[in-house]
Amino acid sequence: MKNRSILSIVACGAALLLAGQAGAQDKAAAAPTKLSASAIQIGRPEASPEIVIPEDFRVATYENVLLQLEKTKKFQTVYRIGDRRADDVKDLVILKLVPAKYTAGSQKQREVTTVKGATSIAFTVQFLDKSGKVLLEKQVEGKVRFYGENLNATYDFAKKVAKVVGESF
Amino acid sequence: MNSRQRVPRFSREPGVTLPRFRRIAGFVSFAFLFCVSPVFGQASATAATDSTSVPDVKCVIGVKDVKPNATGVITVQGDSVRFESGKKKGQIRVNQIQDIYLGNESRQDISGLGGTAMKAAIPYGGGRILSLFSHKVEVMTIEFIDDNGGYHGAIFVLPPGHATALKSLLVSKGARVTQHAEPPPPAEEKQ
Repeated sequence: MKNRSILSIVACGAALLLAGQAGAQDKAAAAPTKLSASAIQIGRPEASPEIVIPEDFRVATYENVLLQLEKTKKFQTVYRIGDRRADDVKDLVILKLVPAKYTAGSQKQREVTTVKGATSIAFTVQFLDKSGKVLLEKQVEGKVRFYGENLNATYDFAKKVAKVVGESF
Repeated sequence: MNSRQRVPRFSREPGVTLPRFRRIAGFVSFAFLFCVSPVFGQASATAATDSTSVPDVKCVIGVKDVKPNATGVITVQGDSVRFESGKKKGQIRVNQIQDIYLGNESRQDISGLGGTAMKAAIPYGGGRILSLFSHKVEVMTIEFIDDNGGYHGAIFVLPPGHATALKSLLVSKGARVTQHAEPPPPAEEKQ
């Protein structure tokens, strides 16, 4: 009787161990392979007839993304769109920003009500190779909910893009 | 004795007339001065409007060697736009400018980390009343390309009433601008 109970405990333990190992293997298989590139070129946020984003937001998004990607140190060089030096880089990755959502908020409303007036800006972030093949695509949103100027939403967005780069490269 | 009376060269006595050529010379020199003085006047006026500088400007982002959100002086002089914040300086050449956009926004009178902390410290939600006080600002966005063809954008927040004049000055110096709809005036100013 005692031997049977010991045997059953050992069997259960072994089963759990095997199941755990199998799960870990699945997880490893599901984890995306990291991308690699020596340089990245940042594209200007595209203009969209449906989602009209003010020019200062588009420029602030572009410049903030550039600054944040330089800080990640994942690439040797971060090129601006139009930079002729990027043409010679073989393993160049191009970052494309397609507008997905824009909500113009109000700093005054935010600070007075705390529940209204949030500013948000969202883009579909695409990482392309030189041939135009999409390597990675994600929707990223930047927000200002409580305190701060409206343009801070672009800073929040850029920080999140840098996080995506940190995880994927 | 010589009976011929000598006429003094510079006589102030009444009745004594100056020779004819002196009168003509005086008239010519007066006419010359009359014609030339406006030319010099015009030149100095051009020099006065050829450059301008605006203090208390915030550079949100985009000027090389200047930290984001730095406050300083923007100057249009010669063929460039300069921004100076303390020891940090940055400049954009006018011939690099591809477009200029203007916009209007409002900013809180009490803002920043200290202001926000102060508002939060006021009991019974009194800080929210302070949040009602704001002032208008103008936002000028300059798009330009560098020597390698790379696209840049710089955003400046200016006190009201300066952005249009700055843009006009830059356009007169050769900055490129495309036609785009100017932003509507803020809701409070609509009539």
